[in-house]
Amino acid sequence: MHTSGSRIVRVGTSLAVPVRRRALVQGLAVVAALVAVGIATLTLGGLGIAPERLPAALIDIPGGSEGFVLKRLRGPRFVVAVATGAALGISGALFQTVTRNPLGSPDVIGLTAGAGAGAAAASLLLPGAVSVPAGAMLGAAGATVVVFVSTGRGFSSPSRLIIAGIGVSAMAVAFTQYVVMLQSRDQAAVLHAYLTGSLSARSWQNAAVIGGALAVLLPAAIALGRRLHLIEMGDELADALGGKAEQTRVWSIVVAIALSAAAVSVAGPIAFVSLTAPQITKRLSRTPGANVVLSALTGAFILAAADLCAQQVPVVEDLPVGVLTAGIGGLYLGYLLVREWKKGTV
Amino acid sequence: MLVGSVLLLGAAVLAGLALGSNPIPLPEVIAALSGGGDAYTRTVVESRIPRTLQGLLVGACLALSGVLVQGITRNPLGDPGLLGVNIGASASVVTATAFFGLGGHATIWAALPGAFLAVGVVSLIGSGRGGATPVRLVLAGAVVSAVLSAYIQAMTLSLPDVFGSYRYWVVGSLAGGDTDTLLGVLPFAVAGLVLAVLMAAPLNALALGDTTAATLGANTTAIRIGGMLSATLLCAAATASAGPIAFIGLAVPHIVRALVGNDHRWQVPLGLVLGPVLLLTADVLGRVIARPQEIMVGVVTAFVGAPALLLAVRRMRAGT
Repeated sequence: MHTSGSRIVRVGTSLAVPVRRRALVQGLAVVAALVAVGIATLTLGGLGIAPERLPAALIDIPGGSEGFVLKRLRGPRFVVAVATGAALGISGALFQTVTRNPLGSPDVIGLTAGAGAGAAAASLLLPGAVSVPAGAMLGAAGATVVVFVSTGRGFSSPSRLIIAGIGVSAMAVAFTQYVVMLQSRDQAAVLHAYLTGSLSARSWQNAAVIGGALAVLLPAAIALGRRLHLIEMGDELADALGGKAEQTRVWSIVVAIALSAAAVSVAGPIAFVSLTAPQITKRLSRTPGANVVLSALTGAFILAAADLCAQQVPVVEDLPVGVLTAGIGGLYLGYLLVREWKKGTV
Repeated sequence: MLVGSVLLLGAAVLAGLALGSNPIPLPEVIAALSGGGDAYTRTVVESRIPRTLQGLLVGACLALSGVLVQGITRNPLGDPGLLGVNIGASASVVTATAFFGLGGHATIWAALPGAFLAVGVVSLIGSGRGGATPVRLVLAGAVVSAVLSAYIQAMTLSLPDVFGSYRYWVVGSLAGGDTDTLLGVLPFAVAGLVLAVLMAAPLNALALGDTTAATLGANTTAIRIGGMLSATLLCAAATASAGPIAFIGLAVPHIVRALVGNDHRWQVPLGLVLGPVLLLTADVLGRVIARPQEIMVGVVTAFVGAPALLLAVRRMRAGT
C-alpha cells in the first residue's frame, strides 16, 4: 500500500499513518476554503461584524449587537452547518464504499424519506404533542428498522439493502406527499419548507447534538474507512489480513446511519450532500476507498458555503439551504462529469 | 405465465369497472357493457371506462419504460425517474403554472417537452467519447434531478399559488382521466410501445456487457439511444396524463425478472400485462379502502408495490 507520493508518519511505535501528499494538500485547501467561508459568514451583510474587529471579537466576545450576532445568530448556525455537512459527508463516503454504488447514500436506503414521513405524521396526527424534528428522528429510525428487518439478513448484503431502501422510501414519500396534499395550504407550506432542510435559527443546543455525534462517530468512521480499503481487495483476502469483511460492512452502515440521523435531527433532511461530497472527494484526490476525513471536510465546505449563499445572495435569500445544496452540489457534480468526459477518463 | 397474467389483467379491468364509491355487481357490469341493464348502471359503468383505459395505458407505459431503463443501465435501481423523466416533467409543469398560468389539460403539453429535455441533457452529460456507460448515465441523472428538484422547491416555496396546485399533481392520480387526456397522449405511448417491442432482442445483447455485445455485432450506442427514446416516450406519456407515479416502473421489472428471468423478449410482453394489473388493482384499492373518499393511486402503488418488492428481496438468492 506504499504508493508513490505517500509517506508513513509514525507516532511512537504503535501508530503509523500513511499520508498521501496529494490528499494532504487537498485537505489543507478545503480547510482554508472552510475558514474563508466562516469569516465571510460572520462578517458579511448588514449585521456582520467588521472584519478588522473579528479576531478581537472571537477572543473576547463583546456585548451588544456584535455579541448577539456571534453568540446567537451566525456563530451557532455556522458551527451546525460545518458539523452537519461533515456528518453527511462521512455517512455518504461509508455508504458508497460499502455498497459499491455511486448512488449509495442514506437517501437511498430510505432514511431521509423516513424522516420526511415521520415529520409529516407528527404534524398531521399529533400536532403539538410530538415536535416535527422529533417526528423526523422517529421516522428515520423507523424506516431503518423496516429496511433492516425486510432484507432478511440485516445490513450485511449491500444490494438487498438498496432495494429494500427503495421500497421503504417509496412508501414514505407517498405518505408524505399525501399528507402535504391533505393539509390546509398554510400547514402544508410549513411542512414543505421543513422537508427541504434548513439551517436558519439554529442554537448551540443543536450544535452540541451534532458535535457530540461527530466526536463519538468520527474516530470509528476513520478506523472503518481503513478496513473498507482492505475489503476492496475481496472478502477472503481481507479476512486473511484481519479485515473482518462482514463485520466491517455492518458497522460501517450502522455508523453511517447514526451520523445521518443526527444530521436530520438538527437540520431536517438536507439532500445531496452525502451523495456529492464523496464523489467530489474521490475525483479530486484520485484515490479509491472511503476517504473519510476528506469527505467530511468536503461535506462541511459544501454545506457551509451553501448556507452562506442562503444568507447573503439576493435572489436565493430566504430559501432553505436544502434547495441550494441540491443546486450547487448538482451543478458541481455535473461540471466534474463533463470535465472527465472531455478528458476521456473514466 | 403469460396466459395467467392476461387472465389477471381481465379480472383487474372488470374490478376497475365494477368497484368504486358505488359498487356494481359483475353480471350487471357485463350487461351494461353489452348495452343492456338500466340507464343508471350504464352511466356509472361508462363513467369508469376512460379511467380504466387510462390505467391500462399508464400502467403498461410505466412498466415497459422500467424494463427498458433497467436493461440499458444494467442497474437494478434503474427507473425512468432515475434518468430525469419525472423530474423534467414536474419542472416544466411548475414553470408552466408559474409563468403562463396553465392548468388542467394544458399540463399534458407542459409535461412532455420537459421530460424530453431532461432526458436529452442526461444522455448528453452521460455519454462520453466511448458512448454512455451505465454508471455515468445514472450519475448524470442524479445531477439533473438534483438541479431540477432544487428549482422546483425554490419555485414552490416562493410562489404559494404554484405550490397549491403542484401538491395535488405530484401525488399522481387517475381520477382526472377522460377521453381527451387519453387521446392526447396515445400517439406518444403507441410510438414508445412499438419501439420497446423492437428493442427487446437487442437489449439481450447489451445485457452481456458492452464488449461482448460489440463482438456479437450489436451497435451498443444505437441500442442505448433507441431504448432511451422509447423509455422517455412511454414514461412522459404516462406522467403527462396521470402525474408522476414513481413505483410501477421500478417494481414491475423486478417482479418480471423473478418470473421469467433475464430474457427481454419475455420481459417486455409480461411487463406490458403486469404493469396495468398492478396499477388498476392499486386504483381500485384506493377507491375502496377509504370509501367514500379516494386515496390517490400514486400513494396506493407505493403501499402495494413496496411490500411486494421487500418480499422479493427476502427471496433473493443467498450471496447476492
